[in-house]
Amino acid sequence: MLSTLLSQIVNGLVLGALIGLIALGYTMVYGIIQLINFAHGEIFMIGAYGGLAMFTYLLPTFVQQQWYLALPLLLVAGAAVSVAVAVAMERFAYRPLRGAPRLAPLITALGVSVALQEAVRVFYPGATSALPFPRIFLEGSYIVPIGDGVPIRYTGVLIIVVSLALAVGLQLFVDRSRLGRAMRATAQDRDVARLMGIDPDRVIVLTFVLGGLLAGVAGILYGADLGFINIDIGFQTGIFAFTAAVLGGIGSIRGAIVGGLVIGLVKALGGQYLPGGTAYDYVWIFVVLIVVLVFRPQGFFGETERVRA
Amino acid sequence: MTTTEDTRAPAPRGPRHGARVERAGRLAALAGLATPLRVAGGVLTVVGTYLPWATFVLNEGAYPSKATLEFFTVPLGVTGFRLHLLLFGVAAVVLALVRVPGRARMLRALGWGVVAVALVNGVWITVAGGGLGAVAAADGGVAFGAFVALAGGVLLLVGAAAGGLEAAPVWQWRFNPWLERLLLLVVFALLLVLVAAVLTSGGQGSAANVYAGAVFLSFLGAVGGFLAALHASGLLTWIGVVSERHRGFSVLVLLACALLLPLTSAGTEYWMTVAANIGVYAATAIGLNIVVGLAGLLDLGYVAFLGIGAFVAANLSGAAGAQFGITLPFPVVMVISAVVAGVFGAIVGSPTLRVRGDYLAIVTLAFGEIFVRSAQNNIGGLTGGSNAIPGIPPVSVAGTAFNDEVVIGGLRLPPGVLYYVLIVLIVAAVMLVFANLKNSRLGRAWIAIREDEDAARAMGVRTGPIKILAFLIGAMLAGLAGAFFAHKTATVSYESFRFLESVTLLAAVILGGMGTIPGAVLGASILFVLPEKLREFADYRLLLFGLALVLIMRFRPQGLVPDAHRRAELAPRAPDEPPPTSAVAGERS
Repeated sequence: MLSTLLSQIVNGLVLGALIGLIALGYTMVYGIIQLINFAHGEIFMIGAYGGLAMFTYLLPTFVQQQWYLALPLLLVAGAAVSVAVAVAMERFAYRPLRGAPRLAPLITALGVSVALQEAVRVFYPGATSALPFPRIFLEGSYIVPIGDGVPIRYTGVLIIVVSLALAVGLQLFVDRSRLGRAMRATAQDRDVARLMGIDPDRVIVLTFVLGGLLAGVAGILYGADLGFINIDIGFQTGIFAFTAAVLGGIGSIRGAIVGGLVIGLVKALGGQYLPGGTAYDYVWIFVVLIVVLVFRPQGFFGETERVRA
Repeated sequence: MTTTEDTRAPAPRGPRHGARVERAGRLAALAGLATPLRVAGGVLTVVGTYLPWATFVLNEGAYPSKATLEFFTVPLGVTGFRLHLLLFGVAAVVLALVRVPGRARMLRALGWGVVAVALVNGVWITVAGGGLGAVAAADGGVAFGAFVALAGGVLLLVGAAAGGLEAAPVWQWRFNPWLERLLLLVVFALLLVLVAAVLTSGGQGSAANVYAGAVFLSFLGAVGGFLAALHASGLLTWIGVVSERHRGFSVLVLLACALLLPLTSAGTEYWMTVAANIGVYAATAIGLNIVVGLAGLLDLGYVAFLGIGAFVAANLSGAAGAQFGITLPFPVVMVISAVVAGVFGAIVGSPTLRVRGDYLAIVTLAFGEIFVRSAQNNIGGLTGGSNAIPGIPPVSVAGTAFNDEVVIGGLRLPPGVLYYVLIVLIVAAVMLVFANLKNSRLGRAWIAIREDEDAARAMGVRTGPIKILAFLIGAMLAGLAGAFFAHKTATVSYESFRFLESVTLLAAVILGGMGTIPGAVLGASILFVLPEKLREFADYRLLLFGLALVLIMRFRPQGLVPDAHRRAELAPRAPDEPPPTSAVAGERS
């Protein structure tokens, strides 16, 4: 069925754009301090909860009802919460471990991930089960008249547009701005960058800020698209996003987006057409991950020498 | 006590003493006050012990088991945590006045113990009593106990640091070998009593026994302070040296002590079950220790091998949900489980040929997730999916099911004791494998790979097969434990083998100290006893676990029982020691 195929492709692309947005955070952090920041997925989750908290407890009703008012406010709130948590995490968990053996920050990241997820579960009212997320964008779908009709959710369009815009913006920032150049220099060689007058600590904080910002936005978009959030979304989506970052090539911004789209398509199409159905769609992503890591660890756009972890 | 030659290797006094005072930094100005501070700390601790701790009796009954009024009728009648505080306070005063080598560190350990006990109990009374009113002020009186004891502990810490911390002394006594063996026997017997006391302290946490967690934590703090003080006195190290001298004897006595646990206060069905579960995770942690601790390959999906072993055993057990209608004797099942898990271990390990470091960790994580997903979806009808595989029959030998109680003569042993004995033997066997491997050519090759893979290859180590072998052997040990696990718990569900379990196992290995046997056992015990004990904090369990991981990595990355080699790499160095050669480069794990 052509329309089934097309609508699964649409689903995959929407999910992929979201994953790509999160993958940008992984790819930047790994590019600069060679840390798999397991907690980045939780940053994404916390962004969603931050937005939900803003909506539930702070916004007056008339703002809640107008999506063009609520959406930007929630995006800002989600990004702010995510950035705050990401910066605190860098400052208190990762920075003291700079120069420690590689195992130490990785395990710290696992610990931060567990702690953040549990903190939300314990302290956010009602977070023990899935919470409904407000509809802050146009509801419904546009039906493309092919075959039985291919629905495209308006929120899906929003996700793709916002993700691509942010990715292009990030690429421009890294390529053109002074700070972006400092980031690239630090990623290449931290000691030499220091000699050139760059403060690596500040660049690393900037990296976490940018990653947190994108993850927070992604969290809000995720909630708006699915209509509910729960505390598990961080870990799972985080692993997918890391897979996407590796697939595209660690350190590459367009790689992260392309990787995200591929992962999204694998999940949507694998769940539809591969044996086992949707119950096994996660498995296919992990299979892709293993195959990529074993046979092309530098990914689509990665530099070969960077990969040697 | 004839030949007590007091030949401590480096004399900790004299000029080095002065050098250490500088390390005290901001407290150097207080150096002259060290002794008064220490005495004051000890005295305050004792005073705090006898002050009231709560202004009223808590809802669930008096918490400090001797309430305030009883002080007047039974003056020295303190029990529980107040007895610990009393002993700590008296010991601190004695140490402050008597010149004992290493006493500053001992005092520091005691100080931490006092702080821990005072904090745990003070906070608990405050929380359970519904606010500061429970300890601070109320009609009739002020319960300053917690505050005074806490102040005493802090004074001890300050006093210990102000006087300068000398290095722990190294004792080199040698006695008649038989006397030493007798001493070891006594020490291990005391250890057995201590383990039983820790295990049962506070009792079984439940709605009827809400103090269990607090009593346990307080006791744990006291034991921790006590053991740290012993360690600071150099006696623990000396015992270690002596037991190394009589290695075979020590191993046998320890095994005997472990087998005697059912005869102590821990000899009830509940504690036997807890102990057996600890044993399962200890065995698995030792297996993981081969992969992570020796070979330095980070595995984030390790619990899958425990799961594979458990599911294999479940399917061969004759349970109703099993895929195969055959029933095999348990030893055969164990071997098959181990072999199947080992095969999967080799498969999971094969990417190590091409992938290193963090990427390898992710590959193992992916394998672990694939296992959980497949098990959840009842792949091939082998795992029962969300229904699990229930009703696995107990192991039975000669008509005796292992979950029955055992009567030998007049001795009545609780149900589950046979499982306990079995897991002790399994853990002992796993330890034997680990210890022999570690000191073998293979073990040295693993350690060489951990330190520097390229250099190891240059030295002629065939890194590829040897890395896969690490995965294979580690997985086999986990599979062995899995077979036991299946029969012991009678139900095997994919939920026991999630990512979080892998992280917990990894944390056990790291908390205990990578590459050592006592470390893995200690870490597994701590991480799997704590949730059992702290049921009333169950909501915060994982939160605390995550924070603990972060703090361990920050403050004690080498673990509680560090490997001698690792210690050189990871521990902060004293300023006058030469830097270890390989530490600075940062090892690539």
